[in-house]
Order: sequence, then C-alpha cells, then structure tokens
Amino acid sequence: MSAESDMEYSDNDGDDYYYEGQDDCDMETVDRSKSDPEYFMFSCLRVEEVEKLLNESIELLSNSLQITPSLAKVMLYAYEWNAQEIIKKYKENANEVLVYSRVKPPMPQTQGNSSRSICAVCASTPPLQKYSALACGHYFCNDCWAMHFEVQIMQGVSNTIQCMAQDCEVRAPEDFVLSHVTKPALRERYQQFMFKDHVKSHPQLRFCPGPNCQWIYQAWVREGARRVECQGCELLTCFSCGAPHHAPTDCTTIRRWLTKCADDSETANYISAHTKDCPKCQICIEKNGGCNHMQCGACRHDFCWVCLGDWRSHGSEYYECSRYKEDPNLANDSQHAQAREALKKYLHYYERWENHARSLKLEEQTLASLKSRINQKVMAGEGTWIDWQYLWDAARLLKRCRYTLQYTYPFAYYMDVGPRKELFEYQQAQLEAEIENLSWKVERAETTDRGDLENQMDIAEKRRTTLLKDFLEFNTNNASSSKI
Amino acid sequence: MANIAAKRIKREFKEVMKSEEVAGGDIKLELVNDCWTELQGEIAGPPDTPYEGGTFLLEIKVPETYPFNPPKIRFMTKIWHPNVSSATGAICLDILKDQWAAALTLRTVLLSIQALLSAAEPNDPQDAVVAKQYRENPQLFNMTARHWTNIYAGGPTSVWEFNQKVQRLLDMGIDEHQARVALSTYDWELERATEQLFC
Repeated sequence: MSAESDMEYSDNDGDDYYYEGQDDCDMETVDRSKSDPEYFMFSCLRVEEVEKLLNESIELLSNSLQITPSLAKVMLYAYEWNAQEIIKKYKENANEVLVYSRVKPPMPQTQGNSSRSICAVCASTPPLQKYSALACGHYFCNDCWAMHFEVQIMQGVSNTIQCMAQDCEVRAPEDFVLSHVTKPALRERYQQFMFKDHVKSHPQLRFCPGPNCQWIYQAWVREGARRVECQGCELLTCFSCGAPHHAPTDCTTIRRWLTKCADDSETANYISAHTKDCPKCQICIEKNGGCNHMQCGACRHDFCWVCLGDWRSHGSEYYECSRYKEDPNLANDSQHAQAREALKKYLHYYERWENHARSLKLEEQTLASLKSRINQKVMAGEGTWIDWQYLWDAARLLKRCRYTLQYTYPFAYYMDVGPRKELFEYQQAQLEAEIENLSWKVERAETTDRGDLENQMDIAEKRRTTLLKDFLEFNTNNASSSKI
Repeated sequence: MANIAAKRIKREFKEVMKSEEVAGGDIKLELVNDCWTELQGEIAGPPDTPYEGGTFLLEIKVPETYPFNPPKIRFMTKIWHPNVSSATGAICLDILKDQWAAALTLRTVLLSIQALLSAAEPNDPQDAVVAKQYRENPQLFNMTARHWTNIYAGGPTSVWEFNQKVQRLLDMGIDEHQARVALSTYDWELERATEQLFC
C-alpha cells in the first residue's frame, strides 16, 4: 500500500516538492495560503481590542454626521456596522436613515396623543419637568421609564429597547437609557449586553463559542467553511456559521447533518422499517417472531403480517397473499423497504462519523501522554525538545487529518450519486488508509524510524490537502455539483 | 404588589367600567381579590362568528412588574379556536407576548381578544388540531365551534347531530368533555374517536 502511494505521490507532486523545498524560508506566508486549502485570514482579538474597533466606527460616524455617539450606535446596529453606507445614505436622505434605524417614527406624531398632565403608564400626575420622550414624542414620567428599562435589561434586552407606547417601534438610545437608570449593577449589565449585541450584529466579528472563552474573531469573509482557531482555547470554529469547523462539508449541510443526528429523526425511520400499524386500532406493532399470524396486543385483532388482511378470512388463502403483485400493500412494503434502505445508509455514515469523533478524543490522550513521554526523555538526557519535536508534530498532524476525515462523512452522505461522489469516496478512502498508517506509527513512535514517520506525515497531509483542494466549495469551480 | 401596578389596575378598572363597551355588554371586568392581582374578564362572542351569543370568561393575572410586563390571560370558558388551547385556554396573541407595550390597557387587551375571535390567525396556532380543522374543513370547524359555544358559553345554536354523538360515548361511560374533545379532534367520526378513547 505505502509503496503504491509513494509512487503516485512522486508522480504528481515531485516537481512541486523540490520547488517548495528550495525557498520555503522566505516565502512562508505566501506558501501557507497556497499549500493549505483551508487557509483563511483572520485575527483573534481581546475584548478591549474589539471595543476599540467598535469605538472607531462610532467615532467616525458621529464626527462625520455631527450626531451623538449614542445615536451613532443605534444606526450602526441597524446597518450592521457599515459606517460608509450610513454616511452615503444620510447625505441622500437623512430622514430615511433615521426611520430605518428606528431613531424616528415613520410618521411624525401628532402632539395630542400623549399628554404631559398624566402619565399613561402609572396614572400619576408628576410635574411637567418630570416627563421625557424619545423622538416619537410619547411622553411618560421618568419613574416609568426607569422601571421599563429595568424590566427590559433584566430580560436581556439592550439595543432594541422600545418606546412604551402602543405600536411604537422607536428605539431608546444608550444615553437616554443611562440617564434614567441609576443602579450601578444595572448600568453595567446594560453595557455588557450592549457589547454582546454589537459583536453579534457585526458581520466581521464572532465570539469564540468555547466555554468561558473571552476571545473574539475578526475576519472579512462570511460564507463557506472558514476555519478560525482560538488563541485562548484552541477550539476550531467555522467563522461563517459558528459551528465547529467542518470542511469539506459546507455550512448548510453540516447544520442539516447535526440536526439530523441530534433530533433522532432516524427513530422514525427505524419505526417505519421495523414495525407496522394494526389495521384495526392503528397501534404500532413490532414483529418479534417468525409467525405471520399476528394478534394485536391492544385490540386482540387477528391479522396477517404480510398483507395486513383479517386472519379469519385469510386462513386457507394464506399462501396466496404474497403473490398478488398489484396488492396495495406492496406499495406500502416498498415504502418500508425504502425507509430501511435510508436507515442503512444513514447508519453507515453515522457510525464512521462517530467512530472518528471518538478516535479524535483518544488522539487527545495520545497527545497528552506523548508530551509527558517526551518530557521524560528530555529530563533523562536523551536529547532535547527539538530532537523530539517531530513526534509532537506528527501527533498534531494526525489530529488535524482525523478531524478533516470526520467531516468528510456528512459531506459524502448528502452527495448525489455519480462520478464526483466516486472520486470523493476514493480520495476519502485513501486519506483514511494513510491516517490509520500514521496513527499506527505515532502510537509506536519510539520504535519507528524517524524518516519513515516523517514520510508518512507528508503523505497523509498531502492526501488531506488534495481532498480539500478538490472539494472545499470555494476552491472548486465545480462547486454546484457538490451541493445538495 | 408594586405601587405602580395597583394604581394602574385601579385606574384601568374605572376606565373599563365607564367605557361604552361595558355599556353595550361587549366586555366586563370583575375583581377576584382585594389586592388587585387577579381579575376576571368577560367578553361577548362577536356577531357573525360561531361564537355569537356566547359569553366567555377570562382569567387575568397581573404580574408584580405590570404594566412593564403583560398581564397573564387565559380563557376559563372552553372554546374551540385555532389560537386558544382547547385544553388549557392559553391564548396566542402577540400583544400578550413580545408586542406588549406599557401603554396598553386591559380594555384594549380585552377588545383585542374579542377581535381575535372574529379573525383567527391559523398560521400562528396555539392548538394545532383546531388550526388544521380550521384550514382544511372550515365548515366543520364552524359547526364544532358553534357547538362548543352552545355547550360551554351559553350560545343559542344547539347542534343535534353532535349532541347525539356525544351522548353515544356518554352511554359507554366516557366523561362528557373527554368525549367532546375526541369527537371534535377526529372530525366527529364516532368510530375513530372511540378507538382513540379506548386505546
């Protein structure tokens, strides 16, 4: 096996290999984007850096339109942080921008419908100066505004807190809210929610989904499977959809697959493949023996499992029931057969997907034990970290390869049958074989020749990148054929 | 109970009492306890609907944070309507949820619920079974709703055929309401309803 793949490998890539080898020192960054089909430009930012970034947009907008930063935030939120677009549109039609951002109501309000003699919310009559209103002119007393904001903030609402009037969608800007909210804890909570909302509404930003992880990714493309790796928790995430990174599968497909696996939709398939409903009382029956004379446990109805006819009128005619091809139940049967087939197909892919997920977890342990083994060797004076670095690299590479392999299964599951799928499954099989070879060699690393191991690493990685190059959506011109 | 809430409810109570709808018998409002946290509403089934002539009681619970959060309202009278649960009386209405505004009042809410009886929203159902019947068999839905109005809300139209079918199940020893629910659910097919009840 390995000899054969060596041959192929040198056939295809021999020239490239030499070429790369010669100037990989000074071309490292360029090389990376070329050699790694998953390469994606992004940065990992701290909360303070993101705050600074957001503030730059806010400042830019408030300076160029001469508005308060608080209003700028409402507008940026509505326009997904595209300050340039807001400025352009504002110059064309300022009113439209204000209405779209819900700073102003679509229709100018008539002053009559909210008085300042009685507060419509609490029914009390505070003095005139204790009323306030948003741009819509709906006046309410300040105590009521404060209560309204408190209730909303406690429910986790921040950017989208609305006016208290009926059918009024005007949003309360930050300065208005903060001028009514005095409790420090509540103010802080409000600002925290505000920041989270801002990051979520910003097309270039995404929170790292790792538990308690504070890092935020920044990138400029938001479609296709885009790998970002967290500096803090090392989690691999897809920037476009926020799910765990899933190349070569695309975002829609992985969502379908994960829901499918999660919501047990296959239980339904199982039921339809292995059970039939009692023709009399419709209760679901699972056949647990060979005899086709069934008696329903619920209604005691006797019937034939094969044709679902009444057993009494059946008796002697039993052997005929399977012969009638045009029997309506045959259509039913083929439905059962189809369901059974679908179940088999799903289980095939699911078992492999699960298996690699488990292996990946075990690989994590290998990595940990390898680290301690290397440490022991270094302490015992058998070379330095640099001498054993290759082992560590091999285990890391193995993890990366297996990760990609795991995510090839949902991709294959949803692929249409055809030459492209055949090619994919051929490459998948090749990758799988090399990964198992590599896994074998990494586990027995000390007895394996270093050259052999490094060779194996190279082959496995080549297989991985070839597969990704050919099938990762934004790398192929032929992307449509791999879509569902 | 918070000061604002009690004050608001007191004023709204007065507002409802003085309103023309109360004078016209469209809506009613009563106190259940002295601390203004629970009220009972009453709305008349709107004309030209299956609910015409019926009187529907509503349970109104006023939360501590009223009017910044909506009141909790459900039908106490059993009703056959796509946006009301036939089992619990829970109502699916936007202004009782995310579209609530502090400036809304019990009067406007009661009128909105009454309007919901005239114009159901089958695409946003609370009771999927009722909504399905409403969409697929509107005539049968109308009959069923009229029958429920007659039985539970004092509506004038008695549906002889339905009463007979309920009686048949009653004779078998089934609880009356349970029988009516099963029959309504299975489009008044006696056999399917029976099967379901004895399963």
